[in-house]
Amino acid sequence: MGDRASFRTLYDRTSAKLFGVCLRVLDDRTQAEEALQDVFIKVWNNAGQYRVNGFSPMTWLITLARNAAVDRRRKRDAGRRPEPIDAADFVADPSPGPAALLEARAEAAALGACLRELPPDRAEMVRRAYLEGATYAELSTATGVKLNTVRTWLRRSLMQLRECLSR
Amino acid sequence: MTGRDETDLPGGWEAAAAEYVLGLLPEAEARAFHARLGQDRDLQRDVEAWQDYFSTLTDEIAPVAPPPQVLRRIEARLYGRRRRGFGSSLLPYLLGAVTAGALAWAALTTGLVGPAEDPHLYAELRVPDRGLDMLAHWSPETGTFMVRWDGGDYPDDRALQIWVIPEGAETPLSVGLIARGEGLTSIWLPEDLAAQVPGATVAISEEPEGGSPTGLPTGPVLASGLLDARIPASL
Repeated sequence: MGDRASFRTLYDRTSAKLFGVCLRVLDDRTQAEEALQDVFIKVWNNAGQYRVNGFSPMTWLITLARNAAVDRRRKRDAGRRPEPIDAADFVADPSPGPAALLEARAEAAALGACLRELPPDRAEMVRRAYLEGATYAELSTATGVKLNTVRTWLRRSLMQLRECLSR
Repeated sequence: MTGRDETDLPGGWEAAAAEYVLGLLPEAEARAFHARLGQDRDLQRDVEAWQDYFSTLTDEIAPVAPPPQVLRRIEARLYGRRRRGFGSSLLPYLLGAVTAGALAWAALTTGLVGPAEDPHLYAELRVPDRGLDMLAHWSPETGTFMVRWDGGDYPDDRALQIWVIPEGAETPLSVGLIARGEGLTSIWLPEDLAAQVPGATVAISEEPEGGSPTGLPTGPVLASGLLDARIPASL
């Protein structure tokens, strides 16, 4: 199979998922389309950087898409006021039903379970950082907590997550 | 670093690995982290693990088909230029891996696009008693012969040499040496040699440093296999 045909097949197989990710991060179709273009151009140019022995190729592609979208979002939203995070607004996620657990990848189930062990507002910070590219400055504004304190909290939570995930 | 001792913050480098993946590290710290990452295998594993875990946060995101002009624009940008993207010959690996991976959301009902011209050829090369695991891959349109290193230790003070034995022939032709410490060796073949690859057997022999001095294998043949268009499971 030629490289172009391979590329087309890869695009057909993965673009909808990656576009979904870009849309989730950017919440804007035009910008998500631009981010998606960046992603596939990177894929073509850097397929050699994908470490064959490393983690799953979908993880690599999703990471590229998330990072491309987050870059755009941060440029766009610089200085914009983030939605507040109030600990009282968050109740712990209910545990997923057995069917959802079956469908989820093992890593997804583990991360979900470990995030539920964190205080709900901390888990929300982790989600916002990954899915919306929230920075410490934004998390600080969103929680009304000093930046250094937010960072200390979050790092402790990340270590707690790591400990939970390595069980 | 910014002058602040890393230990002032809880979690040290391990927490920094998660912050790095989330994009939370301040710029100077991100640069320091990146520099260290290049030399610290444990840190690399941490980063990969975090990427793997955090990427599952996107599992719930529904796929949305992008409008067709996106692919047109991408292809125009890629193929409109004269130079082909370096490393694009690795795309079949990536595609193979995406296809092989258990991806619930990917509609894997369609087969691979059929080979229009010369097919890519593969041979799995394994030496179980030495733990060696390699995959040979011939990419006809780029004219590159690749050997992916999947496991085992490269012998000290010896070289591993790649040979092809054309269909019906007895004499091996040298392709080149497997690069020590590289995950992927990629060797461009001249046209006359490339023409003999389809139907050939690939073999790996152990040779003195720098390769066989005679032009023929002098050391033991460690592994061999027929090059085949079937995409191997290990891809």
